[in-house]
Parts: sequence; C-alpha cells; structure tokens
Amino acid sequence: MRDTRRLLALAFAFLLALPLHAQTPRNGGELVFPVPSEPPSYDGHREETFGLIHPIAPFYNTLLRVDPNDKGGTKPYPSLAESWTVSPDGKTYTFKLRKGVKFHDGSEMTSKDVKASYDKIIFPAPGVGSTRKGQYADVEKVEAPDALTVVFRLKEKSGSFISSLLSPYNFIYKAEILAKDPHWYEKNIMGTGPFTFVEHVKGSHVVGKKNPNYWDKGKPYLDGFRAIFISSSSAQVAAVRGERAHIQFRGFTPKDRDTLKEALGDKITVQESAWDCILMVAINHEKKPFDDKRVRRALSLALDRHTGSKALSQIAIVKHVAGVQVPGTPFATPPEELNKLAGYWTDAAKSRAEAKRLLKEAGVPEGFSFTFKNRGIPMPYEPLGVWMIDQWRQVGLNVKQEVIEAAAYYGVIRKGDFEAAMDFQCGYIVEPDLDMYKFLSTDRNPANYGRYKDPVLDQLYDQQSRETNVEKRKQIVRQFEKRVLDEEAHYLMTLQWHRIIPHSSKVKGWTITPSHYLNNTLDTVWLTQ
Amino acid sequence: MGYYILKRLLAMVPTLLGVAVLIFILLRVVPGDVVEARFLTQGSQFQSQELMDIERKKLGLDQPLWKQFTTWMAGLARFDFGLSMWTGSPITEEIKLRFALSLQLAIMASTIATLLAIPLGILAAVKQDTWVDYAVRVFSIAGLATPSFWLGILMILTMLIVFKWVPPMVFTPFWVDPWQNLVQLIWPALAVGYRYSAVGTRMMRSAMLEVLREDYIRTARAKGLWTKLILSRHALKNAILPVLTIISLEFAFLLGGLVVTEQVFNLNGLGMLFVEAIARRDYTLTQALVMLVATVFLLVNFFVDIAYAWLDPRIRYR
Repeated sequence: MRDTRRLLALAFAFLLALPLHAQTPRNGGELVFPVPSEPPSYDGHREETFGLIHPIAPFYNTLLRVDPNDKGGTKPYPSLAESWTVSPDGKTYTFKLRKGVKFHDGSEMTSKDVKASYDKIIFPAPGVGSTRKGQYADVEKVEAPDALTVVFRLKEKSGSFISSLLSPYNFIYKAEILAKDPHWYEKNIMGTGPFTFVEHVKGSHVVGKKNPNYWDKGKPYLDGFRAIFISSSSAQVAAVRGERAHIQFRGFTPKDRDTLKEALGDKITVQESAWDCILMVAINHEKKPFDDKRVRRALSLALDRHTGSKALSQIAIVKHVAGVQVPGTPFATPPEELNKLAGYWTDAAKSRAEAKRLLKEAGVPEGFSFTFKNRGIPMPYEPLGVWMIDQWRQVGLNVKQEVIEAAAYYGVIRKGDFEAAMDFQCGYIVEPDLDMYKFLSTDRNPANYGRYKDPVLDQLYDQQSRETNVEKRKQIVRQFEKRVLDEEAHYLMTLQWHRIIPHSSKVKGWTITPSHYLNNTLDTVWLTQ
Repeated sequence: MGYYILKRLLAMVPTLLGVAVLIFILLRVVPGDVVEARFLTQGSQFQSQELMDIERKKLGLDQPLWKQFTTWMAGLARFDFGLSMWTGSPITEEIKLRFALSLQLAIMASTIATLLAIPLGILAAVKQDTWVDYAVRVFSIAGLATPSFWLGILMILTMLIVFKWVPPMVFTPFWVDPWQNLVQLIWPALAVGYRYSAVGTRMMRSAMLEVLREDYIRTARAKGLWTKLILSRHALKNAILPVLTIISLEFAFLLGGLVVTEQVFNLNGLGMLFVEAIARRDYTLTQALVMLVATVFLLVNFFVDIAYAWLDPRIRYR
C-alpha cells in the first residue's frame, strides 16, 4: 500500500514537473527572421531604424535595457550596469558595472568604454553624427572614476533620464577603437552582446553565432540567428507560412495574422500590443483659416475615433484611441478622461454638430476646400487618409488628398508647403519627454510641422520633464495633452498603431512590447525544436 | 565591317555622356535627398539640423553641382563608381552580388523563353489555322496577358497551399551549391521566361508566316527540297531577325527591370537595388546603376547589329 502511494506521488510529481520541463529553455537552433529593411550602417548611435536594431542589436549590450518580460516596455532592467543610484538632488546618476564582461575580441569592458560610447552620443566630435544628441541635452558630463563605475552629471534633475538610457540604440563600443576612428563602428561590428558577427551579405542576410564567453552565464540559448532582408510583406508572410522563418519582429497586418493562423493553426502563436507609433495630422498654423483654433478643433471634432477604431482595426495596423501617450502605459490618460477632449467624445453626432458650429463661427463656408498631403506609403497612411477625408466631408469640408512619394515627403512638409499633412512619430520607449517633444514650439523643435509657437505648452513640457514625482508628473502631462489636443488643437492624433506578431510556436522567451525597437538582443529567446 | 564596329563603339561614348548628364540632373531635380531619406523618415522625435549638415558635408552634397558632376565624371573615367551614399560601401561591392543573381536569372529566363518561343512560333506558322496554331496562340496570348509577378505570386501560393513549401529566401551562388541555386531561381525564371516567350512566339509566328510566303520559299518547294531543310536553312534564318532583336532587348531589360518579380521571390537582384537606391535618393548608386544598364543596352544593341550582318548578308554597312 505504502509503495503504491509512493508510486502515485512520484507519478503526480512527474506530471507536475512536465509543464515546467516544457518551459525550461532549450539550447541550440538557429532563429531565422525576416527584416523588412537593411541597416544603412552598423552604428546604432547614428542610425534610427529597426532595420539596424533587428539584425545588429544581438551583437551589443547597452548600459540598461527594458525588462525583456515587461509587456509595457518601460521597466528599467540591468544590462551592463548591474545597479544604479541617484543623488538626493536628482542630478547625479551613478552606475555600477558588471565585472568580467568581455568584448568579442577578448578585451575587458570597463567604464572607459561606457564613457567613450556616451561621449560619442552626447558630445560627438566634429564631423561625427549622433542622432540622439538632443535627447541628452541635460547631461553636463560623463565620468569614469574607476573601472566599474560610471557617473552621469546632469545640469537639471530629470524625470526621464533613466528611461533615456534604455535606448536600444546606445550600444557600448570599445573606447580604444573609438579613439582611433570614431567612424569605425559604421562599417564594423564588435560588441559585448550574446552573439558574435559572422557575415552580412548585402541585400541578403546577416548571420550571428552564439558568444561562448557571454557574461550572462547560460545565455544565449540559441546557437545563432539569421536575419534575412525581405522587403515585400507578402514574401515575409510566405516565409513564416512556409516555415522558412520563425518570426518577424516588426509586425504584420490583421489580415496576415488571420491568414497565418488559418493556415498553420497551433503552429502559430500570436502576440499583440498597442504600438508606440502613431500618425498625426500637422495643421499649418501659418495658413488661413488654420491659424484659427476653432477650425483646428473642428477638424479634430469631425473625427469619430471610436467608430473608426472598430472599422480600421480590421484592415489596418491601427486600433487604439489615444492621446499623447500609448494607451495602457504609465502616463496614459484613462479612457474616461481622454473621452472628454475634443474629438474623443463618444457621441459622434454631438461632436460633428459642434464641429459645424465652430466652422460657421470661424467663417468657414460649407464645402470649404483644402488639400491634405499624405505620404506615399500604403499601410497605414492610405486607409487613414481615406477615413479622415470621409470624416471631414461629414462636417461639410471638401478635402482633396495629395499623395507625395515617401522619400520626398518630408522635404515638402519641412518647407511648410501644405495646409494639413500627415505626420508620423515612433518611439523606442513610451516616455512623455520623448513622445511630447514633437509638439514643442517650432523654434525649439523644427520637426514640429504645425509651425506654431506656444510658450505655455513649452513651459508645461519643461515642468513635467523636471518632475520626479510620478503622480505630479502625470497631472502636468494631462494639462499638456489637453492644451495640445483640445484647447489649442495644435495637432490631431489619429489612432495608435497596433502591433501584431504572429510567430512560430517553436519560438519561446520573447515578449512583445509597444516598441518594435525593443527586445531584439535575443539572449532570452529559445526554440523548442 | 571593322570600320563599322569601331564607328558603333565610338558612338556609344556621346550616348553614355548624355545619359550621365540626364540622370545627374534628374536626380537633383526630384525633391528630397539621401540625408532627408535617412534621418527624417523614421518618425524620430529628435531631429537635428546639425546632424543633417554634418552628413551632407560628409557626402559632398554641400558642394556646387558642377563640382559634384566633375568629381563623378572623373571617377567614371577611371571606372571608379565611388561609394554608396546610403551605406558608405564601394558601389562595385553593392552591385557585384546582385549583378551575378540578375545575370543568371536573365540567362535562365532568356533560355526558357527562346526554347519555347522559336519552336512554338515555327509550329504555329507551319500549322496555321489548325488546332495546333490555335493552342499556341492561346498559350502565347495568355502569357502576354499575365504579368510575370502575378504568375510568381500564383506559383508561390500554389506551392504554399498544395505542397506547404516555398523556395529558399536567400540566394546561394551557383558555384557554392548548384542545387540550392536552381531550386530558388527556377521559379522566377519560369514566371519571367513564360511572359517573355509569349512575345517571342507571336513575333516568330508572324515573321515565319511572312517569310513562308516569299518567292524564294516557293522556289525551294518547287525544287522539291525537304520541308525541314526549307524551314531551317531558308525560312528560319530570315524570320529569326526580329525575334533576335526582341530577345536581346528583353535580356537587357531583365537585368535591371524585374523589380516586382524580385520582390515576390525575395531575390536580391539589380531591380530591387535600383528601386531602393532611388527611394533612398542614393545619387551615386542610382547613377552607377543607370550607367550600367545603359551600357548593357548599348552593348546588346551593338551585338544585335553585328548578328544582323552575320545572319543576313543583304544588310550592308558603310
């Protein structure tokens, strides 16, 4: 009897252990993924495209990273820095680095390398381009007091400094190489990451293999990865469907997801998330009648975002009704509060009636005609453009769409040669400082294509940026949002993008986040077979 | 003949110069440049004019246009295409792999097209207004009406749905693994070759019909010559001239013009490179590709003219 019980207990324990065993990462295998575009160079400090992040990030580490298991994509997580402290005045950040981290050439990574990398980003030498220099305008200097300590001294305290260090682009390079040639990393790869570089065949693929000396013992689980450059979305879908690729990290359309799910059933796992990308409408304040905020408010009030969300999310990569922050993230305005802003009301008829009233009050005649410039990219510019024109038509506006070729688009918009135009923003992390910078006065941010100056808005931005108390900061973000989207209606938000990643069920250890720039180090990813 | 060849070769120089001037001006007239394409299109929150100025200086875009042109022409004279403005890599390196793929695909598609077009065209002409002729005509008209990329999509979907298989997505050079290479390239070659054979078949049929009505063919028949001999020795040699022109020009087109087919099959060829270079405003790469394609067209035309002289002794050149 006792033996039978023991056997039963053992069998029970075995059964309990089974699912755990199934989730234990397995070593081996090559992850294959299509990348829709190719890196222009290998220098993360210079470039700003997922085409670089997806195939190149696995060769590098950053000082901090976003927690690879955080679906919200905002939680700081140690990487090369294992811990950090902030001085009481909030102006000094001290990072303790990991011991024994080695570059792929075998040399030790120290604070000198971190300092040299951040100096290149924040204080680039003449003739060296740094895309994110403006993001660190508050940094006074970077110091390396000893081999394992890095100190960032700020001019002002900041509510977003830690978030800014989570940038997946801020690869840590070797100081000695940078000292000899600050451009070396544009054409060469040598980092501390979980994979070492094997080859890049131009226009075809990048291959990486497991770094056997990786500092995070036991990782990576994969033997290697192969990033294949496939620009056509139908060919990307075919690659996943034909099991030539496991995953595409940028995102597929709802239709692609349904096709893959229907064809492959359980062999496909779908992860979805709000996406930190949004199309906005820049309204040129220098053109009449758009200098009148009543007209701008009317343009926003005309959009029935709630109904649009239901319809457009079936055919396009947009879904969420959003303010200046990605819905569901720490600083996002809750829906019930957001729905009080102009253009976010749930009663579309009331909203349109108000739009018509405002247009009449501003002296805009029925059938008033203007041109809306849109960028020549099918998804999601085309469906959103068509939807908005229809919405504006319903308040008596006659809008003509002019589609401009993608590469020429910003050249035209920057000159201010438009009345209303589609604008775009995509971030690596949901952070008010990053997401709201776009709306600052044109003398502070030339990428504000609305061409307006609003000192009140600028002041609110600075206030929230300096505020380290999260709740107080949220309140200022709300005020900023109300001003930019409702009171002044400087910009119109369309719908937040929706990220859909249908991937092979063999892929484990990867969590979707709102940014397609995050979670591409691949150290936690493994294949079941 | 030698004088003619020399004259034709020399005539290429002003043509190429004209192409160079035209493409240089056209690219600069189109709005946007490589720096804007690189730093303004990713939706970045922080855009810096300083960064854009640094990049423009680095690429020589701050120089006056005449200087940019003369620098480029001086490089061309030394067969130095320079560096790609987008990647910073030597243009020869950018083109090399893609050229190998496009050339192989063009050869394979042309071979398939020729092997289909010539016999089918002859057969349709010889069996005019019979069921054979009708079948060939339907086959060739269907080919004309079907874009090769669409046929490619159908092929991929059929392979996916029926066989749950797609061709490899990464190009393997023939000398590395011939089987893998052919498994990838045979499908686009068939898709393109069929479309391209349709034009040849129609041309072959009509040229053959015209020649078969000539007096010298009637004379040959009256002499009691074998039909096979009449067709191959007397009719084909004359009827093939326009087909040869079409096949040759199509071959040149295939080298850089298969953009959508390359996208469908994810082929890393010159067509895709061309479109990407234009979309990115990569002036140096676009200019080099235009010059390459123009040279190929000129050379193909040159060889066609030589072949004309060889095939048809009635053609005399001064």
